[in-house]
Amino acid sequence: MTAHERPLGGRILTPFFKLLLALCGVWVVLVVIRLLFGLGAVSAQNDGYAWGIWKPLNVVTFTGIAAGAYAVGLVTYLFNEGEYHPVIRSAVMAGAMGYTLAGTSVLIDLGRWWNLWVVFWPPVWNLNSVLLEVAICVMAYTMVLWVEIGPSVLEKLESSSSAKVSGAARRLLPMLQRAMPFVIATAILLPSMHQSSLGGLFMVAETKMHPLWHTSWLSGLFLLSCVTMGFGAVVVIENLTAMTWGKRIDQKLLARLNVVPAWLSLGYVVLRLGDLAAKGRLGLIASEGLYSFFFLLELALFLAPGLLLLSPRWRANRGKLFGTGLLLLFGGALYRFDTYLVAYQPTPGWHYFPYVREMLFSVCLAAIGVTVYVLFVKLFPILSGVDEAAATTPPRGLKAAGGAE
Amino acid sequence: MTTFTRRDVLRVVAATGAAAVADVAEAREPHVAKPDDLGMLFDSTRCVGCRACQTACKEANELPYDRHAVSGGEYDAPLDLNGTTKNVIKLAHGEGDTAYMKAQCMHCADPACVSVCMAGALHKVKGGVVAYEKNTCVGCRYCQIGCPFNVPKFQWFTAVPVIVKCELCRHRGDKGAACAEVCPRSAVVYGKRAELLAEAKRRVAAAPEKYEQKVYGETDGGGTNVLYVTSRKVSFAALGLPTLPEHPLPQLSETVQHGIYKFGIAPIALWTAVTVMQLRARKKDEAGHGHGEGK
Repeated sequence: MTAHERPLGGRILTPFFKLLLALCGVWVVLVVIRLLFGLGAVSAQNDGYAWGIWKPLNVVTFTGIAAGAYAVGLVTYLFNEGEYHPVIRSAVMAGAMGYTLAGTSVLIDLGRWWNLWVVFWPPVWNLNSVLLEVAICVMAYTMVLWVEIGPSVLEKLESSSSAKVSGAARRLLPMLQRAMPFVIATAILLPSMHQSSLGGLFMVAETKMHPLWHTSWLSGLFLLSCVTMGFGAVVVIENLTAMTWGKRIDQKLLARLNVVPAWLSLGYVVLRLGDLAAKGRLGLIASEGLYSFFFLLELALFLAPGLLLLSPRWRANRGKLFGTGLLLLFGGALYRFDTYLVAYQPTPGWHYFPYVREMLFSVCLAAIGVTVYVLFVKLFPILSGVDEAAATTPPRGLKAAGGAE
Repeated sequence: MTTFTRRDVLRVVAATGAAAVADVAEAREPHVAKPDDLGMLFDSTRCVGCRACQTACKEANELPYDRHAVSGGEYDAPLDLNGTTKNVIKLAHGEGDTAYMKAQCMHCADPACVSVCMAGALHKVKGGVVAYEKNTCVGCRYCQIGCPFNVPKFQWFTAVPVIVKCELCRHRGDKGAACAEVCPRSAVVYGKRAELLAEAKRRVAAAPEKYEQKVYGETDGGGTNVLYVTSRKVSFAALGLPTLPEHPLPQLSETVQHGIYKFGIAPIALWTAVTVMQLRARKKDEAGHGHGEGK
C-alpha cells in the first residue's frame, strides 16, 4: 500500500481532447435524430433483430471492460489482498464510466424511455423479468461506482482555495471512508447479480438460439467471462495510461494478479466444453459452418490467454502481458456478440447489419467515456505511479507514438 | 505480501459456479390453459386467402393500411406482421400444394413475452388473453426477443412508438375477434379453447387422409389459445409455425433466476461476508499502522 494516487495535471485542451469533444458533439446530433424520428432513423434494428449492436457492444462489452473494478475488487476485498490497491482507483474510474455509458445507451435505445419510472416503482415490477433485475442492478451499481470515486474527488477538494469547500470535503471524507466497507460489499454483490443476468437474458429464447450457445449455464458463463474481461481491462488500461502519460507500471503486481484470469479462462473452456459434452452437442463444434467458426474462435480466445498466463515469465513481460490482456478482452467481447447476435436466429427472412451511423453512435459513446476519464485522471488523484514532474512534462517520444498529448 | 494459490482461485470458480444452479433447482410449475380461455381455431385447408380478416382487423383496431410498391405497382396489404398490422394472411408452400397461413398472436398459456416484460405491460387478462398496456411499456423490446413466434412488433419510425400485437379484440367484448367474424369460409373461428380443441380434433379425426394428425398449439410451447390444423401436404413447419418443446419457454429462465435468488439468501450472504471481511481488515489495519482506509 505504498503507492499513492496523484492527479496528472497538465493541459486539458490537447488536440486529442478536442477530437474527443467533437465526437461527443456528433453523438448529441445522433441522439437528437433518434428522439425526433425514432430508433429506425439511426439504427438498422428491426422486428427480427430487436436488439442490434448497441446491446452487446455498448452495454454488455462496455460493462465487461468496466468489470475491472469488480475483478480487482474481488481479489482485493474478498481475499483481502490489500497490495492491489494501486490499480483499484483507475479500474473503478473506468468502471464508473463504462457503466454510465451502458446506462445511457440503454436509455437512448428504449423506445418509450419516458416510462422508465416503472423501474423505480415496485408495485408494477414483474419479478420474473431478468431484464428488470439487470436494469435495477445496473443503475444501482453505477451510483455505487461514483460513490467509490468520491474519496478521490474529496481528497482533491480538501486543498481547495475556498475554505468552505475544503472544510466540507474534510468533514465528508472520513464519513465516506467509514461507509466504505458497506459500499464495497454492495459493489461486489451487484455485478455478481447483473453480469450473470446479462447472459440469463437469453435463456428464455431457447428455440431462437443456436444450440452451441443456448444453455442453462448462460448466467454462470457470463459472470465468469466478465471477470476475465475485467482483468484484461485492468492490464490494458494500465498500459494505455503508461504509454500516454508515462505513468509507471508495477509489473510485478500485475504479473501476480494475472494468475487469476489464467485459471478462470481455462475454467470457462472446461465449463463450456463440459456443458456441450453433457448435452451430447460436441459434434456441433465441427459441423455448423460459420457457427462452428465463431465458436472455435471464441474458445481459442479464452484458451490462448489462459495457457499463456500460466507462465510466470510471460506474465513478467510487460508487452506480452499487455497482449494477453487484449486477448482476454476480445474473447469476452466475442462471447457477448456471439450470444446476442451470431447465435440468435429469429424466424427465417430477417437480416441485420448495423448502419454506419449506428456504429458511429457506439464510437462516439466510447469517446465520451475517454473524455470523462481523461478529465478525471488529470484533475483528481486516480492514477498511481505518477510523479509530480510527470504531471507537467509529458515523456519524450510520445508525439511519435500517436500524439495523444 | 501474499501470492495466489490454486485454492484461492478455485474458491472464486466455485463461487461463480454456485450462481448457475440451473440443474439442481426445482423447476417452476407451468401455467396451463383453462378450458374456457378464449382463443381461435385456424384451418389452413379452408382458407382461400381473401384477406377479409386483414381488413376487418385493421378496421376493428383502427390501424392504417400499409402501402408499398410491389413489382412496380402499389399494393396496400401488409406482407407480414408489423408496427401497424396485428393479423396477416401469408401464402405457404408445401409439398406439391400451397395453403394460406394466418399469423397473429398465439395467446400462449404461459407466454414468454409476459414472463420477460419488466413492468407487466404485457400481461394476461380474463379469458387468457395476452394484453398490452402502453403506459408501463418502456419499449425495451425484450418481448420480441422472448416470443418464439416473433409476434410482438415495434414502431421503428416514430418518436412515440408502441408494441403492436393482437389482443383478441378484447375491446369488442362479447362480439369477439373481428377477423373470425368476417371469415366467409369459417377458416378461422373464435370461441372457448376447450370447444375449439374438440372441434379441431373432430376435423382431424374425420378426415385422416386429408389432415396432419395433430392440433398445433394443444401442447406446443406449453399450449396456446390459438390452435391450428393443416393438410398433410402443407405441414405446420411450412406454415411457419416453429417446432417447440412441450414445456413453456419461460420455465427454464424463471427456474434459474428464482433458484439463484431464492429467499435472497445468496445475495445477502455474499454482501454480509464482504462487509465483515472489510470491517475486520480495517480493524487490523488501524491496529497495525493507523493509516490506510477502506479503499
